[in-house]
Amino acid sequence: MNFSGDHGVPERVLRREFLNRLSAAGAAALASGVPRLLANDSLGAIEHPQPRADACILLWMAGGMAAPDTFDPKRYHPFEKGLPVKEMLSTFPAIDTAVDDIKICQGLENIASVMDRGTLIRSHVQPDLGSILHSRHQYHWHTGYVPPQTVAAPHLGAWMSRVLGAPNDVMPAFINIGQRLEGIGESEELKAFTTAGFFGSEFGPMNLPYPDQAAVSVRPPKGMQSQRFADRNRLFRKLVDASPDRDRMSDYQQESMLRSMDAAYRLLSSKDREAFDITLEPRESFEKYDTGRFGQGCLLARRLVESGARFVEVTTEYVPFLHWDTHNDGHTTTARMHREIDRPIAQLIRDLEDRKLLDRTLVIVASEFSRDALMEGKPGSNANDQAREKVDALGEMKHYGLHRHFTGGSSVLMFGGGIKKGQLYGSTAPERPLVAIENPVSIEDLHATIMTAMGISPRMGYEIEGRPFYVTEDGKGRSVDALFA
Amino acid sequence: MTRLIARAVLPVAISILIPLTLFAEEASSAIDFVHDVVPIFKRNCVHCHGGREAEGDFTLNTRDAVLDSGFIDLDDPNSSYLLELITSNDTDTQMPPSDRPRMSVEEIETIRRWIAGGASWDADFTFSIRTYEPPLRPRSPELPVSRNGREHPIDRILDEYLAVRDLPVPPPVDDATFLRRATLDLIGLLPSEKQLDEFLANSDANKREKYVDTLLSDSVGYADHWLTFFNDLLRNDYSGTGFITKGRKQISDWLYQSLVDNKPFNEMARELIAPPTDESRGFIDGIKWRGEVSAGQTLPIQFSQSVAQSFLGINMKCASCHDSFIDRWTLKEAYGLAAIYATKPLELHRCDRPIGETAQAAWLFPELGDVDPEAPREQRLQQLADLMTTPENGRFARTIVNRLWYRLMGRGIVHPLDAMQTEPWNEDLLDYLATELVSNDFDLKHVLKVIATSSAYQSRSEVSGEETANEIYIYRGPRARRMTAEQFLDSVWHLTGNAPAKIEAPISRERPQPKPSKLTKLQAHWIWGPLENGSVPGGQQLVLKKEFTLADPVVGGHAVLTCDNRFRLYVNGEMISSGTHWQNPQSVDWSTYVSHGKNTIEAIVTNDLDRPNPAGFYFESWLEFSDGSQTRIQSDESWMYRVSGSEAIDGKLDSADAVWHPVTIVPALSAWTEVVTQQVQPLINESVMPAHERLMVRASLLKNTALMKSLGRPMREQIVSMRPDTITTLEAIDLANESTLAESIAVGAERLIASTNADTDQIVLTLFRSALSREPTPEERRLVTQSLGEHPDPTAVQDVMWAVLMLPEFLLVR
Repeated sequence: MNFSGDHGVPERVLRREFLNRLSAAGAAALASGVPRLLANDSLGAIEHPQPRADACILLWMAGGMAAPDTFDPKRYHPFEKGLPVKEMLSTFPAIDTAVDDIKICQGLENIASVMDRGTLIRSHVQPDLGSILHSRHQYHWHTGYVPPQTVAAPHLGAWMSRVLGAPNDVMPAFINIGQRLEGIGESEELKAFTTAGFFGSEFGPMNLPYPDQAAVSVRPPKGMQSQRFADRNRLFRKLVDASPDRDRMSDYQQESMLRSMDAAYRLLSSKDREAFDITLEPRESFEKYDTGRFGQGCLLARRLVESGARFVEVTTEYVPFLHWDTHNDGHTTTARMHREIDRPIAQLIRDLEDRKLLDRTLVIVASEFSRDALMEGKPGSNANDQAREKVDALGEMKHYGLHRHFTGGSSVLMFGGGIKKGQLYGSTAPERPLVAIENPVSIEDLHATIMTAMGISPRMGYEIEGRPFYVTEDGKGRSVDALFA
Repeated sequence: MTRLIARAVLPVAISILIPLTLFAEEASSAIDFVHDVVPIFKRNCVHCHGGREAEGDFTLNTRDAVLDSGFIDLDDPNSSYLLELITSNDTDTQMPPSDRPRMSVEEIETIRRWIAGGASWDADFTFSIRTYEPPLRPRSPELPVSRNGREHPIDRILDEYLAVRDLPVPPPVDDATFLRRATLDLIGLLPSEKQLDEFLANSDANKREKYVDTLLSDSVGYADHWLTFFNDLLRNDYSGTGFITKGRKQISDWLYQSLVDNKPFNEMARELIAPPTDESRGFIDGIKWRGEVSAGQTLPIQFSQSVAQSFLGINMKCASCHDSFIDRWTLKEAYGLAAIYATKPLELHRCDRPIGETAQAAWLFPELGDVDPEAPREQRLQQLADLMTTPENGRFARTIVNRLWYRLMGRGIVHPLDAMQTEPWNEDLLDYLATELVSNDFDLKHVLKVIATSSAYQSRSEVSGEETANEIYIYRGPRARRMTAEQFLDSVWHLTGNAPAKIEAPISRERPQPKPSKLTKLQAHWIWGPLENGSVPGGQQLVLKKEFTLADPVVGGHAVLTCDNRFRLYVNGEMISSGTHWQNPQSVDWSTYVSHGKNTIEAIVTNDLDRPNPAGFYFESWLEFSDGSQTRIQSDESWMYRVSGSEAIDGKLDSADAVWHPVTIVPALSAWTEVVTQQVQPLINESVMPAHERLMVRASLLKNTALMKSLGRPMREQIVSMRPDTITTLEAIDLANESTLAESIAVGAERLIASTNADTDQIVLTLFRSALSREPTPEERRLVTQSLGEHPDPTAVQDVMWAVLMLPEFLLVR
């Protein structure tokens, strides 16, 4: 409906009403539930560098991956009864990587071998939010905003989905692999950011908690053969056409419903849905990834990106006190996590490279914060100490590890998508506190970098309820140009 | 492979996002101030030079102000200072400032031509905010004369409105459409076939009004349905962020009872703002996240935002960070409201930074009175509740009636609903409804009845395009609304008979005045094997057994049971129920598993944890014989136990040769007793009711699920008064293959086949009548019959059912 096409209403009435409404500072529009793209700026040219990535894979180390036990090795002490905890920095020795000046922790040999394909950031820092609740920091990392917010903040995958859509329009643009959202601790808090927020569910994630079950999500209902599925859809279309209400189908609600039904049918009946089925992967290739759910998730992510998904997150899964969330027995658990992530991450990088996709796929390995044996939060924090075994000296193996949450300096790996190869960026102090001492990279700036690589201006914003809402907090993020080739 | 086009897709995506008005002007056409120039100013200038902002003392609010500034030179347009600013490359002086995007060449050219053309400006136009200030006091509008014998006040107002605009009066809907619309709108369900037949056959001229009365007098149905509306409005839910750290409280039971009792809305508001008990406290206490939060989200500020939004349709979110750019509210006013709630002095923060000022408790409309900032908190809240609900506060009544109008008519009189500072498209209509509410003791059902009995409500819905931000809304009839997630699932369950077994909301939900029944008094005890200091060894697994003999065949029966920590229940060797959470008792019709003669119940019960802790098993049941007499079986001292040895094989349990000992009665933990009174009792009560009298479990009473979320039920961390009105692709995928939905349809198909004796004609008829409240057209009948075949099998019926449930006609309340 537009101004001139409004039949039957006297022009003067319309003009007056139009003016009235406009004069109310556009308040109606401003406060409406529908987000509007902010002014001309937003998609303005990105000066430097030219965006190169058209897909993004975020490998999420959920629960707080300890940098000193993974990608930022410090002075190593093997387990030793009576060792004062304050002496404990790293619990794994350092190993060489494919890059001369980069060493990482033992157990990550495969990743070490592909280190020359990407950049290792050792100076990622997070704000201290007081008492640590993982999901709150994860919310911050995934949306760029600290909860709670007055409007529901979109996940960074939802931004890509909203702004860029999917390269293949049959595919969902935003796919989230490996995280259960039911039946685990803090699940409601996880749901709070696993969402498109004010963009609406159109741009939200397709959640695939079990990679080996992913194919089911895009299959016709259980037990329905493809012929029956097609017949059912055909009957539906015929009934739509036969509806006595058909003449009212110009109604936009009805039209958009039918468009969505059609899009769903196209995916569920398309060849592209095979991308979701990791059992179709050749045995040999499957086994290279198969260290468990995370490894399978990496394989699934590769297949999805090959088929034209825009943003895929694969998580080691956040479950309170499990996996990277080491509140005790950290060394043993971390050794297991090394085994879980090392092969598949390296394989993903190699496979993308072999397929000539690495340059156009941005792969990020990140976590909500790091860990430390002694320090909770960061220097000066008033956060509660949440280590489960509070000892001054090691008594038994379960005391050995990094059991406190540390926000002063963590590691991020970035590969592909125009990121510089074989680079080490930033550093942390050699002795406690292990804070970033060179080139600190905030969440805003890291997001700005990711978005820039994807061709989205860090200052892009939408207006929601009259508030400008930017892809990086208040539009302040600045991409770290040194990270790009 | 579609990757190659990815880069090329980008510009296309961009052009869709930018309002077309950007490119609207043609080089040759005259500049239209409102359509061409205003959007440019809004995008680039007004944030700092419009409304109450006048940086550098320059404001664009009015033409006079712009001319007075000297920024525009009408005599020598091209040397206007304004043009110099917007074309300058000097980063110190250029406009917009250098940290903001430059104006485009086209925009600059438009401004240049606008100035050259004399800087025309529509007389009424201004960028200032206060153009429209809604009246605060109530107003009783004078009703226009009635036209065409339509006396209803709403029709008198709208008929006049349409006549002035030379617009046609929308035609009335038929009885069937009205029936479906009203039933979905007022109690959220589809009408049954029986209701449809009765209503169509009824020749009473007042049958529609009477039907509205009938619906509104169904207090449970009304509460079940409107609970969704209020949960959204008050951000109440049964699960969600905040509960984990005890940073959030529910108001569910209070809210549900208030709806069942049709508590006057002013009383509801009073109890929410100044809670007389903890039952309604959750609303003002908001959601407290662990750790530090920004100044704009502290609990007092959340209070300010919630109270203003829910009851007054004011978006205080902007003003709680800085003076609002979109309406008249200021930081000071947002904090004044917050300070009513605050327990300690509240320092004003602008954009998260303190500004060295302490908030003084104050109410937003001092012309109605004020709160005493020196009074204690409870009194301040009372005073606020008084001011909010005083009949003189017309804003309060207008805000809620506007929400009700939106629910029933599809579009607010003021729209969006939470921008109540916007001018209504019909002031008389809004004021009339508000006056009706207040003069009828704030009775919400009364207002719903007034709307639902108007000819306007009972007229055909408008065929409408998507409403855009700058569109002028013209009323042409009600608008179809998409079923909510809850309405959709309730409808599916209603049609398929596959509703979940029990509610999850912590509320008591019973028919008013349930018949007291001896049967429903619980008699079971918590039982286990021997205790040590009241505890049971960690990890212990036992088999509990009860043998009983029935002298007659049974015709019905039900069991409700639970176990701390888990159980599997076998009746005569068949496993019929299991549970792993003692907080979730299981409810099972077990009458088909018992038989005339000797029967055995066995339960494998397990105590979890690796250390001694309390454990218990609870079983309550009844069985009915053909003469109507009943017997009870429940867990008590007559049961026996043995240590678990033999495993169940293929679902069967073999206990031959085992040695049995008498059980111990375990003293009930208070948490157990709570589960018994709050869950077991209602389940037993429900089970003794005849099937057709049982209350169907409604989606509004369940925790949010992935499916409901996908269908638009919000997370309720924020207040949501308007849900999305379209269906997305991800939702459509769920509708196509989600497993619980497919399961419901499978169950429904079986039921439909059974109730129609697999007669194809009957299946088609029943399906259309129960889902769409109408008979199929000949063409529809032909299509469906063809698809079903002469001897329809369950899969064919499922597919037909699915296809009908997916029709826009089904998914919309039309």
